[in-house]
Amino acid sequence: MFLLLASANSANGIHTPYAVLLLPLFAAVTIALFARQHRSLSAALSIGAILVSFCLSLSLLTKGITTEDNITWLTIGSGPIPALELSIGYVLDKLSLQMLLVVTGVGSLIHIFSWGYMREDKAVPRYFACLSLFTFSMLGIVLANNLFMMFIFWELVGVSSYLLIGHWFHRDAAADAAKKAFITNRIGDFGFLLGIIIVWSALGTFNFAFIEAKHSELGTLATLAGLLLFCGAVGKSAQFPLHVWLPDAMEGPTPVSALIHAATMVAAGVYMICRLDFIFTTDALTVIAWVGGITSLLAALMAIQQDDIKRILAYSTLSQLGYMVMAVGCGGPDAAMFHLTTHAFFKALLFLGAGSVIIALHHEQNIWKMGGLRHRMPVTFWTFILATLALCGVPPFSGFFSKDAILELAWSDNKALFLLATGVAVLTAFYMFRLFYVAFLGSSRSTAADKAQESPYVMTVPLMILAVPSVIAGFFGEVHLGLAMIAGIVASIAGFALARTFYRETKTDPLPSRIGRTAEWCRDRFYFDEAYEALNKYTQELLAKVTDWLDCWIIAGLGVKGIAGVTHITGSLLRLLQTGNLQTYALLFVLGVLVLLYLTLT
Amino acid sequence: MSPLTLIFLVPLLTALVLVFVPSREVRTLRGLTFVGTGVPLLLAILTFATFDNAPLGPGTIADLNLNSDSHPSEPPEDAPTAVFLEYENGYKFTEHHDWMPTLGISFHVGVDGINVGLLLMGMLVAFAAVCCARDIGRRVKEFHILLLLMTGGILGAFMSLDIFVMYFLHELALVPTFIMIGVWGHGQEKNYAAFKITLYLSIGALLALAGLILLYTQVGAHTFNLLELRDHMDVGGSALTLGMQETIFGLFLFGLGILVSLWPFHTWAPLGYAAAPTATAMMHAGVIKKFGLYMLIRVALPLLPEGAQQWAGLLAALALGNLLWCGLVALRQKDFTLLLGNSSVAHMGFVFLGIASVSVIGITGAVLVMIAHGLLAALTFGLAGWLRAQTGTTEMEKLGGLLQTMPFIGTAILMALLAGCGLPGFANFAGEATIFFAAWHAEFKVITTIAVWAALVIGAVYMLRAARHILHGPAVATELDGRDAPDWFTRLPYALLLAALLLFGFWPRLLSDKISPAAERLLPPDPQQNAQQP
Repeated sequence: MFLLLASANSANGIHTPYAVLLLPLFAAVTIALFARQHRSLSAALSIGAILVSFCLSLSLLTKGITTEDNITWLTIGSGPIPALELSIGYVLDKLSLQMLLVVTGVGSLIHIFSWGYMREDKAVPRYFACLSLFTFSMLGIVLANNLFMMFIFWELVGVSSYLLIGHWFHRDAAADAAKKAFITNRIGDFGFLLGIIIVWSALGTFNFAFIEAKHSELGTLATLAGLLLFCGAVGKSAQFPLHVWLPDAMEGPTPVSALIHAATMVAAGVYMICRLDFIFTTDALTVIAWVGGITSLLAALMAIQQDDIKRILAYSTLSQLGYMVMAVGCGGPDAAMFHLTTHAFFKALLFLGAGSVIIALHHEQNIWKMGGLRHRMPVTFWTFILATLALCGVPPFSGFFSKDAILELAWSDNKALFLLATGVAVLTAFYMFRLFYVAFLGSSRSTAADKAQESPYVMTVPLMILAVPSVIAGFFGEVHLGLAMIAGIVASIAGFALARTFYRETKTDPLPSRIGRTAEWCRDRFYFDEAYEALNKYTQELLAKVTDWLDCWIIAGLGVKGIAGVTHITGSLLRLLQTGNLQTYALLFVLGVLVLLYLTLT
Repeated sequence: MSPLTLIFLVPLLTALVLVFVPSREVRTLRGLTFVGTGVPLLLAILTFATFDNAPLGPGTIADLNLNSDSHPSEPPEDAPTAVFLEYENGYKFTEHHDWMPTLGISFHVGVDGINVGLLLMGMLVAFAAVCCARDIGRRVKEFHILLLLMTGGILGAFMSLDIFVMYFLHELALVPTFIMIGVWGHGQEKNYAAFKITLYLSIGALLALAGLILLYTQVGAHTFNLLELRDHMDVGGSALTLGMQETIFGLFLFGLGILVSLWPFHTWAPLGYAAAPTATAMMHAGVIKKFGLYMLIRVALPLLPEGAQQWAGLLAALALGNLLWCGLVALRQKDFTLLLGNSSVAHMGFVFLGIASVSVIGITGAVLVMIAHGLLAALTFGLAGWLRAQTGTTEMEKLGGLLQTMPFIGTAILMALLAGCGLPGFANFAGEATIFFAAWHAEFKVITTIAVWAALVIGAVYMLRAARHILHGPAVATELDGRDAPDWFTRLPYALLLAALLLFGFWPRLLSDKISPAAERLLPPDPQQNAQQP
């Protein structure tokens, strides 16, 4: 591995991206094989690997030109043009570099935070091995220069997420959530793979640059292919109607929620559609925009009635991902990537802050059992409020700029979506300040909250570091003075004012008594899970039941009994031979064939 | 002597030696079997590793050489015709002896890119099966003799270039299966399972034999030699009418299909594997079942190309039967071995779909899946055998939390289940994905769509459901107080199979670069049909 690093530097950096990609894999494999019993060593390996990857990514920034490389992974056919060629490679351009830095940068901090958060866990080495495996997979998606490679790492991200959500697999809830996440993602991948097959069969290539050059040849298939590929993003980025797995995924350890289910993996879907932006037709883009818009609204509504601190953040993530997807649909992949980046900072910070609170309260996650944490956990409190302000789009925090870019885009593209997005901004400020008032201000509502203490430095330092880009990352974008900006500011003030009216110094949630059934629907997530369960029960499970019955009673039953009848007679005849020995039968069988052959031929 | 001949003979000779070892010398019996499969395994690994560098035509052990020398691409002029044909068809490490010249039957072995991988897989599985046969407690001697017969027989079948010998050796490997289930099997349905599997497989074998005889008599070349048959048919144009090709291919398809549990002739398989002793299930599901597919690819496709075209559509539809139907049935299983059995049947659908596409992509994918699935099936049945021996049950309701109580076995099961749902990184993925591309390209669009659903979603549902039940959740107390695999020896078979799955999963070119040129030679030289447009 270090040889590889050395060669990376010598060979003009052409291999550096491979080193970035492979280092976390190396860490994962080493931990799995040799450091299963060594807690500190496994943490050091995992953290070291991603830190080096981060530094190497920084060194790539200086290049400034798009570079690409390819290694053939599988090739079939001997002609000058292979019948099928699948390759692993990388493309370094503005898009992938930006994402690379987000993944390794935010990832590094979360790896470090994990060492504090998981310090009392029994399976630290397994945790870090999976975390490194995840980083490897995610970097593969980011660096991919072709659709097939992206699919490979897409699946690997799915499985590492499965392993991490199920880290505490002895708990039924965690095991169920892991399974649900994987299967829901697989439904999206079904569309993704079909889309890849269609693109290949029409264009004969998987490479992004070649697809971009020839995508007009897709003709009438373009919309279909684009929407099928988008299915992959719907699964991974948890968009409506496949959003149901993300809230449950909060059963995993909190740093995992921060890394995978806020900052990186769920952003992969957005990254993918930004990468493939050119392939989507106008119709496809309209669908994408509305899927994003609906997701952001539904999720924001669900968030206002949750009581679990991580679930509130999870719905918020869904909602913000909807924003990004909507931005791509409105024709602004740049705005989407901008929001993806700022969101990665402040949402990771929010999750880590929540993790800090959860650890301090001995795994209490209900916000109604918190309160008054402001003085007991000052660092967590202050960083959390910065991130909250960023998420709500308050100027001059980073979220303000990226949200403004999206609102601006929606205004020029689709007025209905603009209204929807503004509504979501109100809801966002509302549920975030609800969380903030209830959990951090007022007086403590449980003994655990009474005795809470600030977390150690290994956890608070990453919080402080993350707070910096959460505040300033927006200055890299542009500001458009206009209606959209005013609407965004008014929306966040309105949301804040509402939350303050309802939740300042309250002991219980006043909302259910005010809005009745609506609150219930929001709390119960509009019954999507129940509906899907019923749907599955009455389609696939029912089909399986019928098939199983037919298999057992018709195919196996009648088939065998029919043959058995014939055999019974044959058996009676054969009994004349009276050996009862299968070897003898086999011998006779072969001898008979030989005799038969001999007779026919001579 | 060709290393192939040794791979074939060593297990059979070991079986012969075992006959003279007293039954009570259990350690000696096991040790001899271990060596008797270990040595051919090493030879198979060497053959695979040196295949690319080896000269065409006859080969000896001295050719197991990693240093690349340039070898002539033409045989010496005084070489016999057989050698010319071996060169032409890309066979290496060959050896030829006349056996029954009047019938045109000979002992003729050789490997090309297709069976060199299958031989490696077969030996890996056989060796692993021997390691897992430690759960056999009674009549140890007889069991090991049968296991060695099985190994020698099926590997011989895979390397034989004479169709009659190929068929005969497969029968030699098949018959012990029935006896082993009958004598050492378990469960209440053991006798019924043994009866059913015997019935189905005998009928399948009989149909295939009918096809074989019809082929032999209709071609009229008085030879069972695959290369000579092909040569004869190429030179004389196709000697067979379209109708005759169709008939013979049909006999092969259904005869061999039954041997491979083609839908709807699949119901023997889950039942048989659930009742079979661990090593038998590993060998049969892993290796012996691949023979039917191998013979379809090796014999039926190249000799009956037009027949194959005629049946391709039906075969693709039946393949969907495997993938979808058996996948749905697997969803309902409550017993781990029955789930694995149904899943194994479902996976055969990939291979059938690859064959049905009649293209170099499809055939390459099919062989990739055959190798990957052989390793995986052996791994899963081996692990299920460990569970049965340690906990006394394979019912998923009665198991739980095994990742805590059995970390090694639990992790191995998890990896196997993930490999089974087509996760990249394991060899299965490369083959399955390749087959999807081939099938779509062969215009089986609806079938491919449903197959992708069956593979990605239904496969994931039943595999993860199994993981959820037996590995996750709180630990459940079982009837027997089971333990994890304690030492390197008990872990060896699982580690070996997993390592092979990962190696070929990360680096499928190790296989595909060998398979693809060989697959091209099997198909009619029609660039329009086989080449993908740029």
